[in-house]
Amino acid sequence: MKALYKIIFSGLIILIAPSCTKELNLDPISQISNNKFWKTENDARGAMYGMYARLRTETSSNLFLLGDARSEILGRSLAAASNEQYYTNSLTSADPGPAWTGLYRIIHDANLILKYVPGITFSSEAAKNNILAQAYSTRAYVYFVITRTWGDATTITEPTEGYDSETNQKARAPQAEVFKLIKEDIEKALNLFPDNNFTTGRNIWSKPATQALKGDVHLWTAKRLNGGAADFNTALTALTEVEKADVALLANFESIFDYTNKGNKEILMATRFQEIEVTAHTIHQNMYISSVYMPVNADPESKQAIGVLGGAPFMTISNTARTQFANDDLRKKPTFVEIFTVNATTSTRTFYGSAVLKFNGFVNSGGVRMFLDDIILYRFADVLLMKAEAKNGLGQDPSTEMNLVRQRAYGPNFSNRIFVRGSREQNDAAILQERLFELIFEGKRWWDLIRFGKAFDLVPSLQSRKGQDHLLLFPISDVTLSLEPNVRQNPGY
Amino acid sequence: MRRIFTNFHGLKKRCCKILLLTFCLVSVETFANRAAGQFAVKANVPPKIVTGKINDQNGLPLPGVSVKVKDMNIGAVTDANGNFTINVPEGSNVLVISFIGFATQEVSIANRSSVTINLAESASKLDEVIIVGYGSQSRETVTTSISKLDSEVLENLPFPSVLSALQGTVSGVRVQSISGQPGAPPRVIIRGGTSINSPNGAAPLYIVDGVIRLQMNGINSDDIESIQVLKDAAATAIYGARGSDGVVIVTTKSGKTGKTQISYNYDFTGSEVGPTYDLLTAREYIYYQRLGIVASARKTPSQMATLAQATGAGTGNDLTNNTAFTTQYLTPQNQYKLNEGWESMPDPVDPTKTIIFKETDFRDKLFRTGLSHNHNISASGGTEKASFNLGVGYLGSEGIAITTDYKRLSLNFNSNLKVRDNLDVFARLLYSRTTDKVIPNLSTIFRFSIAPAPTTKYRFEDGTLAPGQLATIGNPEYILSYNEVKNSLDNLTMAIGSKWNILPGLTFDPLLSIYQVSSDNRSFQKAYLNGPAQPVNTRTAIASYAKQLQFQADGVLTYLKSFNNKHNFESKLGLSYFGRNSNSIGATGNNAATDLIPTLNASGMAVNVAGSESEQVILGYFARLNYNYNQKYLLSMTARYDGSSNLGKNKWGFFPGISLGWNVHKERFWEALPENLLQLKLRGSYGVNGNIGSIGLYQPQGQYSVGEQYAGNAAIQNTELANPNLRWEQSKTLNFGADIDLFNNRVRILFDTYRRVTDNLLTTLALPRYTGFANTFTNLGSLENKGIELELSGSVLPAKSSFQWDVSFNVARVKNKILKLPFNNIQNNRVGGFFVWDPVRGDYAWLGGLQEGGRLGDQFAYKQVSIYSSDAEAAKGPKDTLVPGTNKTKYGGDVNWADLDANGIIDSRDRVYVGNIYPTWTGGFSNSFRYKSLDLIVRMDYTTGYTIYNEPQARLIGQFSGQMGLSRDVLRSWQKEGDITDVPKFYWADQQAQNNLNRGNSYYYQSGDFLAIREVTLGYTLPGKLLQRVKLTNMRFTLSGNNIHYFTKFTGINPEDGGTDTGRYPVPRNVIFGANITL
Repeated sequence: MKALYKIIFSGLIILIAPSCTKELNLDPISQISNNKFWKTENDARGAMYGMYARLRTETSSNLFLLGDARSEILGRSLAAASNEQYYTNSLTSADPGPAWTGLYRIIHDANLILKYVPGITFSSEAAKNNILAQAYSTRAYVYFVITRTWGDATTITEPTEGYDSETNQKARAPQAEVFKLIKEDIEKALNLFPDNNFTTGRNIWSKPATQALKGDVHLWTAKRLNGGAADFNTALTALTEVEKADVALLANFESIFDYTNKGNKEILMATRFQEIEVTAHTIHQNMYISSVYMPVNADPESKQAIGVLGGAPFMTISNTARTQFANDDLRKKPTFVEIFTVNATTSTRTFYGSAVLKFNGFVNSGGVRMFLDDIILYRFADVLLMKAEAKNGLGQDPSTEMNLVRQRAYGPNFSNRIFVRGSREQNDAAILQERLFELIFEGKRWWDLIRFGKAFDLVPSLQSRKGQDHLLLFPISDVTLSLEPNVRQNPGY
Repeated sequence: MRRIFTNFHGLKKRCCKILLLTFCLVSVETFANRAAGQFAVKANVPPKIVTGKINDQNGLPLPGVSVKVKDMNIGAVTDANGNFTINVPEGSNVLVISFIGFATQEVSIANRSSVTINLAESASKLDEVIIVGYGSQSRETVTTSISKLDSEVLENLPFPSVLSALQGTVSGVRVQSISGQPGAPPRVIIRGGTSINSPNGAAPLYIVDGVIRLQMNGINSDDIESIQVLKDAAATAIYGARGSDGVVIVTTKSGKTGKTQISYNYDFTGSEVGPTYDLLTAREYIYYQRLGIVASARKTPSQMATLAQATGAGTGNDLTNNTAFTTQYLTPQNQYKLNEGWESMPDPVDPTKTIIFKETDFRDKLFRTGLSHNHNISASGGTEKASFNLGVGYLGSEGIAITTDYKRLSLNFNSNLKVRDNLDVFARLLYSRTTDKVIPNLSTIFRFSIAPAPTTKYRFEDGTLAPGQLATIGNPEYILSYNEVKNSLDNLTMAIGSKWNILPGLTFDPLLSIYQVSSDNRSFQKAYLNGPAQPVNTRTAIASYAKQLQFQADGVLTYLKSFNNKHNFESKLGLSYFGRNSNSIGATGNNAATDLIPTLNASGMAVNVAGSESEQVILGYFARLNYNYNQKYLLSMTARYDGSSNLGKNKWGFFPGISLGWNVHKERFWEALPENLLQLKLRGSYGVNGNIGSIGLYQPQGQYSVGEQYAGNAAIQNTELANPNLRWEQSKTLNFGADIDLFNNRVRILFDTYRRVTDNLLTTLALPRYTGFANTFTNLGSLENKGIELELSGSVLPAKSSFQWDVSFNVARVKNKILKLPFNNIQNNRVGGFFVWDPVRGDYAWLGGLQEGGRLGDQFAYKQVSIYSSDAEAAKGPKDTLVPGTNKTKYGGDVNWADLDANGIIDSRDRVYVGNIYPTWTGGFSNSFRYKSLDLIVRMDYTTGYTIYNEPQARLIGQFSGQMGLSRDVLRSWQKEGDITDVPKFYWADQQAQNNLNRGNSYYYQSGDFLAIREVTLGYTLPGKLLQRVKLTNMRFTLSGNNIHYFTKFTGINPEDGGTDTGRYPVPRNVIFGANITL
């Protein structure tokens, strides 16, 4: 019996011993655990592109909804009304527009870079500084979007790396503090950029692009936060700096947006959309026209301008904006098309609808229209018009910049369209008008209207609501409020 | 109790070793003594030889019957003629005769050396054998909540997914046929599951012949011997870590000693679709659609233009391939179409003009009669030394929707070899290969393309198939024709094991298994037309391959011991290793030049590559002690200690279970009652289970993921917060039950009531949005499930009657309640929900979502009080903020919404509770009749207490999609001043007009409650005499109906699933002819 006893005993030991000590600590193979990351320069670079991929996601649709959709440029198209709550300015906390989730996700990425990259050894200090500058610029830009949309904002400057529901609830910081952070980040970025050059493709931040952002930010604080002459001056200086970089107005307006001409000399910063990398079309697909709505008897000119159909006609340029475009404005044709139906017997042309051609992407080899144009954050014409705005704010003559833009816009007819300096108000009105023609559908108009203080004058759905200044901000969604109890609704909503 | 567990935790591995060793020492010492005694007996007196014959009630010999010497480990099995021989040691005088399906009988052999016994078929199920996980027990001594499937359910229907057999047949198991796609498994949830985040994803643990599986794909119901469901925590504690959502134990057929039996089964199934939507004819459609456009144009005048466009009821269509619809004005050029089956009608908008059109009912194009064949051949037999069972099956099943099918080839081989008197080894092979063609996007077909406008062109004039309006809503035959999908799935289990009777009473059962699942999928989208005007030549080809390899090693030591024939012990000690490696690769290509090659190599452009690899290891130690005193007082204690690689700091968890039982009828005082009038067992159990099912394999470590690219550069993104503190989800179940046998075993009742509290729920916690994360995975709160279960079965007529009528009935109710959520500063620590007027409080409040005291799955919608009969009445109603646009005027025919807060304004706060998406009551009943050679089975099941948002129905009235067909309900829609109806006025694209339907109208939140006639089978078995004449053991023919009818108020396609109906593959009605021949 002793023998059997021993056999079983040792058998069990053999079975149990290795099992008990067997390693249950397994490392992932096809993903990276948090404590294994941030070791090398390549990690940092991968994370930087991760941050830009998320910035791209936010610019695909939300940037338009936040920065354009509530202005007078947008109207209903032929199909079901979509996003009507924006251009009718009837957003509510139940139907509030985009949440800030995605924007803070970019901030989280930037915060991770800012926390970990300084501890990584790089091949060169310049390479490291460049990545840090990217993170600062991105963070500044995103906070700028947030504060223009919702006003006060929770300022997060450290990455979220754990969560404790009892202590982590944060309130919003006053807008002035948010702008303080934005301006500090911009300065840090400008100091860190190794040179004044662009990278190929111009789809990540650069010193000149950040200067444009700086100009934009200071114009806003000059006009909306009583920054006055000091901020106008800072803006003017920054925007003038941009001109030292390799930028120019392209001769042909349309070619700025060509799918095949991404990262051209007019671009300062654009988020990169390209086939395969991005599968979801940009929001501009909802301003085009599909076969279901394209009339069989449409005029040949519009058929040709539209080419391969695509997307769906949910929104389009409003009649208000459409009728402002002059026929000799070379920007009109690349911006939108007016569709007429032609009566076969009488040849009468009847206006049927319109489609937005700006950002209409390209037709891929499968024959499908892909709305994958880069979303431009800053381009040189924008900088010129901002510079004109800053000059006018300081009482200087904005006509040089205005005329540079108009010269291209009117080409042979420029002589009839030369801008001549008027009163400060007249100049402002002209600059704002020019920005509409030049930058329509580029995610700028709503903020332009607020910055110029003209939202209640120019947006039809706001004209009867003067004095309800809360409408200049977006409401905070019920969902967000329920998740963030220390965040209060914007008064008025 | 808790302190003991905590201490145990503290000692961790060292402690578990010590415990195991102590257990071994004690066991070994005990059996050593016992063995010594036995050998002594054996040495002195020669054993007596007993021979005998065992027959059934009718005197026919029974092969394969187990004959054992009572309280000894000595046994024999009857041969093909029912004869046996056994050596009986001196001092033993009783043989125990047992055979599945028959009552176990004890026979005295004192003074006899030959016996003939007629075994009675078992009416009582108290003596049925129950598999309890790493062992089996008789029902009489089971003290936990375990249900066993009546094997009769598996007999007649060829189940493409065997889990369907559990529907309505086992109490406490919610089985929902959520898809009629051939081969699609139903949803199985035991006792409501333990998940807050995904209550419909709380699948139980499946164990097939000891091998853990996450699904039952590919298992042939013909290979199954038994299915049991372990429900309470004391029963599932033996599977500790993964038992909290219940355990389903499946045993496949194994060989029985006796003559080799060869049997062949064949089933032929014809499947048809049941009722779908009631739709308007093309004529009615054009009439209402055109008037609806005019009605909508009141708000948006530009819509008048669509009357003349190439739309469903628009007149801009022509006979070319450029338009999707047939609708057009009559012209001399197209007049000839009227002779080709086209119809004409006056334009309702301008009666001076004539519209012509061609009607197509696309349901006739989408659905067909599906034919299925199921062949099974099996051989089974054995000697005392070896036995085997071999089964081969082929199922070829056509879906009721065109192009869909499911094919399954299955192989099951079980063999057992007695190597030594005390050592059996066995090997098992279970293999299946399934291939299927499924509909990739159910919503595209069953929500939209099931009902395109009836005027949609089916074929162009040149005879080619027309695409319809778009690839998303169009001609279903066209859409399904350009998608080529090929999926195959291989499931292979190989297991070897042994049963080693080390010493009398002591056995060691090791089991080693490899389980491999590999799937191979490809799809190809040929060039197609996305509507007539948009050719798409992208030709996307996708291929993927995934393999999962699972290694499992279990070792169980069992020790049986009785003292004085009164104190009966069974102790078990085991360990289990579980390791799983998964890997997959996949790629996508575009722009092939041809439709002729569906594989990746033809692609002109590489789009995407994917790959992943992962591992998981779970280790477990377990022990069980069963004790009974004279089968009267029963005690069972189970414990399992599990460690898993996918947890962080807290890898190990301890899961105990204890259960007690009292066979009241064994008490002396019970003898006052007539014998067998009432047998009663009371039982109670408590146990703790774990669950880590929903946690990612590396979740506690956080995650940076790859795959995105930015401008050609690979991007890395932080997608998951690290949470090293993640721990086992723990569910504690207190269960009370009773097993009752009445009237001489004619009625049997199983009753259970339980309360399960799941703590440390593993779930996602929604985070404040400024964190940059939508949520994080955490141990969040507690959920309570409370329920009752009753199973009743009985024979209406006495056993002697030649006409037999058996009934069975089961019912279960489960309710959940959220007990605790993590503190978040919000009342009830609520997450999500609806801010609405609460009539109970008389104030606004957040209802629904997740909140303490609330339950999962509450739905809210706007309540339709009535339809305004006139403009005047509408003008008096509250202001409706949900009417789109700036003009909020309400008209006759608009819905009068309940203004709950009576503030004169309809807004999101006026939504009301309209039901819950999870069922509360489930169950079924069956009747089986047998008269001589004929038998009839009628089986029904029901599910109640849940609500379905019949969105497709609202869509078919509200024309949300623009160019779909319309429901017949439109015929009774409000049409003119003074009409009283429950269907609002028809507007084209309701959501842009008055938003009467699109906002979530309570009227379309329908009860899903149903009673289904699941099976009716008429069977004929050839009588014994006839069989002997044709030299067959058995021959049986059946004719069955399956899913014959749903009694339900739900007007959609499939009432079985709560929540929003987003397009469901209908569950087919099947007629099945079956034949079974056994040689």
